[in-house]
Amino acid sequence: MNTMAATIPIVIVVLSAIAAMLAEAFRHPGERMPIAGLGLIGLVGAAVASCFLWNTDATSFGVVRADNFSLFINIILCIIGILTMVFSNDVVEREDLPPGEYYALTLFGISGMMLMAAATDLLVIFLALEVLSLSVYVLTALRRSSVAGAEAAFKYFLLGAFSSAFFLYGIAFAFTIAGSTRLDAVATAVASGPSTTLALLAVGLLAVGFAFKVSAVPFHMWTPDAYEGAPTIVTAFMSTGVKAAAFGAFVRVFLSTLQPLQGQWIPVLAVVSAATMIVGTVVGVLQSNIKRMLAYSSIAHAGYLLLGIVSANSAGKAAVLFYLLAYAVANIGALGIVALLGTAEHQHDQLRDFAGLWKTRPGLAALMTVFLLSLGGFPPTAGFIGKWYIFSAAVQEGHYTLAIIGVLSSVVSVFYYLRIVVMMYMTEDTGVAARPVVSVPSMAGLWAAMIVTFYLGVLPTRVIDYALQSIQTIL
Amino acid sequence: MLLTTVVFVPLIGAILVLFAGGRGDRPEREPLVRYLALAVSLVEFVLTLWLWSRFDPASSGFQFVEQRAWLPQFGISYHLGLDGISLFLVVLTGFLTPLSLLTSWEAIHTNQKLFSFFLLALETAMLGVFVSLDLFLFYIFWDAVLIPMYFLIGIWGYDRRIYAAVKFILYTMVGSILMLIAIIGLAYAHASTAGTPSFDLLDLYGTVLPWGLEKWFFLAFTLAFIIKVPLFPFHTWLPDAHVEAPTGGSVILAGVMLKMGTYGLLRFSFPLFPNAAHVYAPWLAILAVIGIIYGALVAMVQPDLKKLVAYSSVSHLGFVVLGLCVMNVNGIEGAVYQMLNHGVSTGGLFIIVGMLSDRRHTRLIAEFGGLKGVMPMLARVFLLVTLSSIALPGMNGFIGEFLILLGAWRANPRIASVAAIGVILSAVYMLWMFQRVNYGTVDNEKNRRLPDLSAREWAMMVPTVALAIFMGILPGIFLRPMEPSVMKILDVMHGTSTAAAVIRKPVTAPPPAPPPVETLAAREAR
Repeated sequence: MNTMAATIPIVIVVLSAIAAMLAEAFRHPGERMPIAGLGLIGLVGAAVASCFLWNTDATSFGVVRADNFSLFINIILCIIGILTMVFSNDVVEREDLPPGEYYALTLFGISGMMLMAAATDLLVIFLALEVLSLSVYVLTALRRSSVAGAEAAFKYFLLGAFSSAFFLYGIAFAFTIAGSTRLDAVATAVASGPSTTLALLAVGLLAVGFAFKVSAVPFHMWTPDAYEGAPTIVTAFMSTGVKAAAFGAFVRVFLSTLQPLQGQWIPVLAVVSAATMIVGTVVGVLQSNIKRMLAYSSIAHAGYLLLGIVSANSAGKAAVLFYLLAYAVANIGALGIVALLGTAEHQHDQLRDFAGLWKTRPGLAALMTVFLLSLGGFPPTAGFIGKWYIFSAAVQEGHYTLAIIGVLSSVVSVFYYLRIVVMMYMTEDTGVAARPVVSVPSMAGLWAAMIVTFYLGVLPTRVIDYALQSIQTIL
Repeated sequence: MLLTTVVFVPLIGAILVLFAGGRGDRPEREPLVRYLALAVSLVEFVLTLWLWSRFDPASSGFQFVEQRAWLPQFGISYHLGLDGISLFLVVLTGFLTPLSLLTSWEAIHTNQKLFSFFLLALETAMLGVFVSLDLFLFYIFWDAVLIPMYFLIGIWGYDRRIYAAVKFILYTMVGSILMLIAIIGLAYAHASTAGTPSFDLLDLYGTVLPWGLEKWFFLAFTLAFIIKVPLFPFHTWLPDAHVEAPTGGSVILAGVMLKMGTYGLLRFSFPLFPNAAHVYAPWLAILAVIGIIYGALVAMVQPDLKKLVAYSSVSHLGFVVLGLCVMNVNGIEGAVYQMLNHGVSTGGLFIIVGMLSDRRHTRLIAEFGGLKGVMPMLARVFLLVTLSSIALPGMNGFIGEFLILLGAWRANPRIASVAAIGVILSAVYMLWMFQRVNYGTVDNEKNRRLPDLSAREWAMMVPTVALAIFMGILPGIFLRPMEPSVMKILDVMHGTSTAAAVIRKPVTAPPPAPPPVETLAAREAR
């Protein structure tokens, strides 16, 4: 049993996914089933299991490691998953999504994400990457009637397949130098040997694979289309979950295994980070579709997170974890609101759809404002502490230029977040289609996300401590 | 706990107001919301006065200090304290917030609840800026100020409000966010000498930095502050923000928020980076003098009353920065005093412009004329506030400008002489404006039946005018508690050496006499 311990959270989520599939199989046509509840049970279970595993540093089969690092990411993923489930209960039917497939795929995706953060073998990371990617590709195209969804999924799939190939190729090179795909073996080989061309090729190809998944420039092209074409609730899920998982593995591989080669990869990633921050913010300014805008915003946030990796110090690693949490809560909140206001006929994802939201839905407008301010990095919200932490990690390493690019691009991003606020508060409602009612559980979920956002912004000490404990095993 | 209470009472009040207002826009709850918000702001004012009464004027250190661990991993603590410089800015904030609520009493019709919420939340953030002794905490309050102000301008402003609100927030953010980098850099530069990073202001005073870092840190801090002041040529956001903001917002913006910039220069930029300050202060002084003259000239030709007052702020704040840049005790005391004066007199001017605008729904000078006959009381109050703004001897403005010019003269007579021209110019544009609005015949039919001051307006103007005169006659009450703190901050700026011999300040009003400039010249000759 002990050998299984590290996989318990993942197994719980997989079980709930299977339950969701079975529920769909037994569902009479037209019958409503609380499948979201099954997912919730699984995710809460996984979160509790993760808490019990804290500080145990359990390992299963030598390839899955439930160290505090992966558990921290697990908790983030559980929060994302729980909020997704709560919102989905409102949205799925309205959006005409097939419930069984939707919930099962989402839960399988989450299990893949958890595995990706916990894996200590390149091949297992790849496996997890595929599990989560395939789920997300299908989820993107889940609304069968939507042409945009199909196109988005196709683009996403093609580019994702390329990136998987790059990643796999990188694993092959790593295997050549180390004779194993285990991260510790690769680390030993990299540390002992000189930085050969093979090693550099491995690093480069792995970096490309990760850069695709976290949508870093110049591998970000799929992001706006996929985020815009997917059902909004799926956008909310994948813009946060995939990012958390991919950055988890990114940090583990680059800041632990490939640390000895950092002299080679830091300059490259520094340029990528700067380009990502700039492109994400500058192009985001031009968008009038909120999902597209938030897609560019998520690119920019990937740039900030990369800045944490580039800093390559313990502050940087902990900052990435903290930032992922802050970003996840705010982003899923913001996109969740877009999803909750949308229907199959009217997506409610254009900027002008938000006109005068404050008059009719003061609560939602206030919540949206808080999430956007957090994404923009205003105190006293989580986003500010996250940005501050990342930038202080960069400044500690003397990356002043990158930090300045970061802060200036965050000012630009404030411009487009404020465009939504301007719409909600300062523009008159000009006959937008009736907005659906938001259920009590969804409202509660949004309020909880807001409370977390403020909690992390005002009293971040405890969570920062957890983040610092989490990186002990990947120093 | 005293300072924490003072800082957060408005925020608690703001939340109460939000609940008292009920869900949505409920017009029937408006009176309740108004009176509740006003009550909170008055309680807060009394609290700030109580702080003043318990303040020990002889001490140069920080008083009512509170320090609690907050983010101990990074040397960040919740550290509050009050000295003679911040004391009066806190009182000023307490004084202007109820006025701002009163002036919005009838002008704000839509969603009074949210308006009061933002205004009170803004008060908490501004008070936090003035009492924070930890750079991280300071930055949080500094940035938090932007959000309520953004909403106040954007929701309740005039026609181009959205443009003005967005320009305001982005413009000021660019400056302040670079300061964030400098704050972090400073904390870790401290770590390289002391071992652990610290964001505590008192630890950071006296940190020795390599010139390369000190220069850039100073510039980053100073940029943030001079955008806020705003110093020429970074003032372009101000006329937009002022003109588009609702009257209540303008009062706070001019009365308190601009002082955050000058306060920041005095508390952070200069003492934290004394070497850089000595190198760059002359340049800042030159910009300040350009701002004094430029602001005055531009104010002179404004057709819009509010724009005129806005540009007059650029000119007046130029005096404040000049006073800080000369780095002697007269200059700095004058600058701090002038910050208070500007808050009172420009706040008063904005309130009066608001009254005119409420009555006529226009702010163009050309639309008015001959108001003295129609509204004699308003014209009298208007005259007193105008005189206070142009620094007539016997009014508050005179003391501040006189001390600043005295300090500037001791540092560099040429700069002082040029700045003195600004005093004349301010008399020109203010009196000319006053004349066009109040004297002459009533040309415009719409002006013939305007009501004079209402009880609510009396309630706003009596304290303002009384304070303006009081501060002009008994400046010692304000200057005495300030002096030890100013001396101390000068010590930090000039290294450990004690500041130059103190010049006796005029404790009572100087003899009311010819125009200000001549008085100055006479004083200098002595």
